[in-house]
Amino acid sequence: MSYSTFNQNQVNPLLEPMFFGNSVNVARYDQQKHSIFEKLIEKQISFFWRPEEVDVSRDRVDFQALTDSEKHIFISNLKYQTLLDSVQGRSPNIALLPIVSIPELETWIETWSFFETIHSRSYTHILRNLFTDPSEVFEDIVINEEIQKRATDISRYYDDLIFYTQLWQTHGEGEWEVDGEKHLVSMRELKKKLFLCINSVNALEAVRFYVSFACTFAFAERDLMEGNSKIIRLIARDENLHLVSTQQILNLWQYGQDDPEMKEIAEELRDEALNIFMKAVEQEKQWAHYLFRHGSMIGLNEEMLCQYVEYIANMRMEAIGFDAPFKQRSNPLPWMNKYLVSDNVQVAPQEAEITSYLVGQIDSNVSASDLGDFEL
Amino acid sequence: MSTAYKVIVNGQQQLTVDSSQGTLLEAMEAAGLEPHYHCRNGFCGACRVQLVQGDITYINEPLAFVRPGDCLPCCCVAASDLEINQ
Ligand code: FES
Ligand SMILES: [Fe+2]
Ligand SMILES: [Fe+2]
Repeated sequence: MSYSTFNQNQVNPLLEPMFFGNSVNVARYDQQKHSIFEKLIEKQISFFWRPEEVDVSRDRVDFQALTDSEKHIFISNLKYQTLLDSVQGRSPNIALLPIVSIPELETWIETWSFFETIHSRSYTHILRNLFTDPSEVFEDIVINEEIQKRATDISRYYDDLIFYTQLWQTHGEGEWEVDGEKHLVSMRELKKKLFLCINSVNALEAVRFYVSFACTFAFAERDLMEGNSKIIRLIARDENLHLVSTQQILNLWQYGQDDPEMKEIAEELRDEALNIFMKAVEQEKQWAHYLFRHGSMIGLNEEMLCQYVEYIANMRMEAIGFDAPFKQRSNPLPWMNKYLVSDNVQVAPQEAEITSYLVGQIDSNVSASDLGDFEL
Repeated sequence: MSTAYKVIVNGQQQLTVDSSQGTLLEAMEAAGLEPHYHCRNGFCGACRVQLVQGDITYINEPLAFVRPGDCLPCCCVAASDLEINQ
């Protein structure tokens, strides 16, 4: 019940469920119950990058030339992404580490969350370059109503799981009163909260970034804000991996390849999981509306963005066993793909500058002077 | 050993793919099918299609969860004649 940072009982992690089993003791990866998480860790680490390596200095000039409505679009998106990564940089750790039971998943969670903090630091890098004092932008994140609405939904399921886990780890199962409110803590309830939380995170990683990605890449299509776009490409690639991990967890449960009780819960709460996803889709469409309320930008409007959200949502929902709910089966923004291709593969010929894989792969024989005009 | 196979897409279009000449996704693109993709590297799941019949071989092991009856054309090649739904 109470959490120990080193569980002294002998446990066999190969027999533990992903969550709510015995807490992890030895961080060992020579054997894995779900080897996919070890592979995700490796892949994510191979993607390592530092925001400071991406030159964003030219963006300042571009930014000044944007129209007011375009500035609103650009800055609002950065605010929203800052919110998302603020939450993601801590919540998987706080909510999931106290209840995880296998070492490879524990380390995946830490790796995942760590990369979200790189994303957060990259927004500071971008904003510092655009504004002498970016405080106003950051401060608005906790005041701006449109962002508030999203923050509520994003943090709600995490907060609920965290609170119930705390009750359980300090008091055990039972009915507990806190501040005049009764809470029924049972393993079943805890697992339900976990299930809803993972669905909510899955929806976040699946669709919540894409309106903003589309705007960034629409600027890049016009050769504007290209430093920013390089950073967002790196972020998009990471987000894809995060999404894969939540899809894996949901599918492992659904297919009975982990905790059998989670399979039951997945069936029991299927409608609720669907609602969580559909609500995220709805909020993204409203976000597109908010972005374009002062006017659209060249190459993109509210309608196209909403179609793109539906297109993405269909794909993401099928990946976790739902039917595709939207008619939009073709990609309304085909140019998006070239920004989402992992750089392992040669992309469109005009993409002369490959954003990644240079990081961390610099030949150790290269001297500093060779890197004089090194550009990412 | 021959690496050329027939692939039926959505029960109608038929193409011939040569597994030694690239992934199933590339073959679908060459045939003008406009398949979905993002990462082209097996970790996003965007290219997912239904594998109705036949065998494929993954040239890179995908990280995305492949649900029973699905396959990820960006990282596989045909290993027999195939029937897929896009
Ligand atoms: S395109 Fe990403 S898995 Fe195939
Ligand atoms: Fe992120
Ligand atoms: Fe993420």
